[in-house]
Amino acid sequence: MSFYTNIYNSLIKRNSIFVGTIFAGAFAFQGFFDVAVTNFYENHNKGKLWKDIKGKYLEGGDDEEGDDEDDE
Amino acid sequence: MLSLRSALRNTCSLRTLGTQSRLLSSTSLQNKSTYRTPDFGDYVRPQGTDDKSRVFTYFTVGSLGLLSAAGAKSTVEAFLTTMSASADVLAMAKVEVGLAAIPEGKNVVVKWQGKPVFIRHRTQGEIDEANKVDINALRDPQQDSDRAQNPEWLIMLGICTHLGCVPIGEAGDFGGWFCPCHGSHYDISGRIRKGPAPLNLEIPQYQFDGDNLVIG
Repeated sequence: MSFYTNIYNSLIKRNSIFVGTIFAGAFAFQGFFDVAVTNFYENHNKGKLWKDIKGKYLEGGDDEEGDDEDDE
Repeated sequence: MLSLRSALRNTCSLRTLGTQSRLLSSTSLQNKSTYRTPDFGDYVRPQGTDDKSRVFTYFTVGSLGLLSAAGAKSTVEAFLTTMSASADVLAMAKVEVGLAAIPEGKNVVVKWQGKPVFIRHRTQGEIDEANKVDINALRDPQQDSDRAQNPEWLIMLGICTHLGCVPIGEAGDFGGWFCPCHGSHYDISGRIRKGPAPLNLEIPQYQFDGDNLVIG
């Protein structure tokens, strides 16, 4: 049996399993998508986010390493 | 027209029914169509071919379903989160009071969610007095221990349960609070003793955090 036949028989043949796979996949996809978008956003706005510039305004803030990043 | 009628008579007559094939027969020979059917053999997928195209089609359908399910889920989630309290409301929902500054036998009124909250540092004599009361004789029977987590501190909402005035502290016939609007007397545990109010003064949720009191 080929690879595609295996997929067809295990996931698609029964509608209940097909729909269940879709829903489970939706949950997994959402987590993945959230992380991906957040990473992209934070990468794109590096140096402008509060967590990057926090050290400049808070005396107690110990994350001073954010300073060198917004010189770029 | 005439031929149709005679044909109808023929099929319906009992004599012909016996020789005709049975309508409800389930043997395959009887069901076999006598029409000539074309041979689709050239178009039928040969046995043993893999399901690549079929899997691809279902994968496309499934991916669309997955995306719509994820979209529907986040739409519902976004709608539900609008119902939960926002950060500014949550920030206003709690009040912290330092208890060290309140001497024994003194009242303090703080504002919590727009309502006055009475805090009384009770003396030992007052605690004994509150415990001495026969609760069966009360209008709204409640033990003092049910009203104060720590008997030294009595914390309650300063809103008369009658019509919502703010009672005056250290006043009234029972040494507790007195509502000037319609003359309700509350005792040193905030329980209604005399006057029109139906219930004891309400106790908010609170907890002690070291020397501080957190209301809410």
